[in-house]
Amino acid sequence: MDTIKLYIRSMGMLLKSQFQYPASFFMQTLAQLVMEGGEMLALILVIDRFGHLGRWEPGDLFFFFGIMSVTFYLTECFGRGITGAFPSMVRMGQLDTLLIRPRGIVTQVLCSAIDPRRITCIAVGTTALVIGSRLSAVRWTFAKAFLMAEAVSFGFLLILGLFMIEAIFCIHSVKSVELVNAVTYGGRSACQYPATIYPRPLRVLFTAFAPFALVLQVPAGYILDKPLFDWPAWTAFLCPLSGAVLFGVIYMLFQRAMHFYRSTGS
Amino acid sequence: MKSYLTVFRLRLRMELQYRGAMLGGIICQMVFGLILIALYRALYASRPQTMPVESVVTYVWLQQAFFRMLLASDPDLTDKIRTGAISYDLCRPVNLYGFYYFRSLALKMTGSLMRAVPMLLFAAVLPAGWRIGLPSSIPGLILGICALALGLLCVSAIENINMGFTMRTLDSRGVQAMLNLLMTLLCGNILPLTLFPDSWQKVITLLPYAQLLDAPIRLYTGVYALSDAVRVLGVQVFWTILLVFFGTWLWRHNQKRLILQGG
Repeated sequence: MDTIKLYIRSMGMLLKSQFQYPASFFMQTLAQLVMEGGEMLALILVIDRFGHLGRWEPGDLFFFFGIMSVTFYLTECFGRGITGAFPSMVRMGQLDTLLIRPRGIVTQVLCSAIDPRRITCIAVGTTALVIGSRLSAVRWTFAKAFLMAEAVSFGFLLILGLFMIEAIFCIHSVKSVELVNAVTYGGRSACQYPATIYPRPLRVLFTAFAPFALVLQVPAGYILDKPLFDWPAWTAFLCPLSGAVLFGVIYMLFQRAMHFYRSTGS
Repeated sequence: MKSYLTVFRLRLRMELQYRGAMLGGIICQMVFGLILIALYRALYASRPQTMPVESVVTYVWLQQAFFRMLLASDPDLTDKIRTGAISYDLCRPVNLYGFYYFRSLALKMTGSLMRAVPMLLFAAVLPAGWRIGLPSSIPGLILGICALALGLLCVSAIENINMGFTMRTLDSRGVQAMLNLLMTLLCGNILPLTLFPDSWQKVITLLPYAQLLDAPIRLYTGVYALSDAVRVLGVQVFWTILLVFFGTWLWRHNQKRLILQGG
């Protein structure tokens, strides 16, 4: 409980400092809008040209895009310490100062950064979700709303976990490892579309190893009344838990990696 | 002229130093290429288009291979602008614009070529339907390479204009970030320009961003016929000259009203 209070206070302070330069903040937020808006424009143009993707109608495609975008950028916003700041903390030796404080490393790293500029990306994602649910005429029920919240929260853990793989590499090699981007940003790019359209190797990668399909897309399929796989309906509520499992495993690996941490000394 | 070529050569050597970091980047770019191709193949399977899927596959591979040309920018210069160290560069007996133009040219050229060669080799040995297609003709290939060289000259001019704006605002994350993001969309990196609505393409292909990679790729794949080549190269030359002139003017103007930060 204390930790959560600490996190909220840190976020408040960081936000205050970010808003000290309103013009710069405004421009950067606008740039983010252009970025995610561009992605959405690409989706609109794809739908304009191709109409549908197998059994997935335009509304479904907007919904898949939206759920991925909202989850990914919520993580980038509130998990900025892990998703963006960590490699430079190792390189600059700032991580050393965290080691002497009476809190966990992950907590402190999470408390060290926030990225409110992502708000426009989240807004674009939300728009896509609304358009998708309108076009596909989703009948919202309590169960579906609950599942949506569950998918987004476990998706948060999943994406945070995947970025922590990069952090682990970083502890060992100091240099940030671009390779991990293949599952983080690559996963975001690929799983803006339902994973079933991909050939088997990619489908396995995004179901079993970086389980975007299980955490976000199986629930999305349930909400759209078009199951992603031929699995019974109740599995939709179980699948997102795999995000927590992945996070747990990587969290343990991260703690082990910290034993090998050597300061860069700068 | 000789001093600019030396700047170019020095920067070239520096870029060649980081071969290890490059490997991860290349593999990552390959995965992105495979994902995009898988997506377009699935889209084509549900509704075939007049343009063959092989042409889209080739487009994606060439875009991924030369991706570095678009977004590699000179980190030193941004720092120098913010810290005021750019004042040392003002003492040099060379034109500041030319100095940085050739630096950025070298950065973009080595950065993209070192990545492009292994990427294209990888893309050539993939199974049919996934591999990069052969050029439509030998002249098409030669014209494509010429167009790519012009694209490189053009993108360096755009880069210097972005830097010119950074000198005014001191912050490289606002307007310039937006211009860069527009670039990835309008040069065909997010979605091939050949898949944009046909009516849009008439305008988009004339914009400077389309001159960087889209024009060379279309010459390579034969979407632009050889008889169009003069017009295509002409548009590229036109934009390059115009952007260099605008950039030079902007930099000269900036130098006159330069206020140094810090010391």
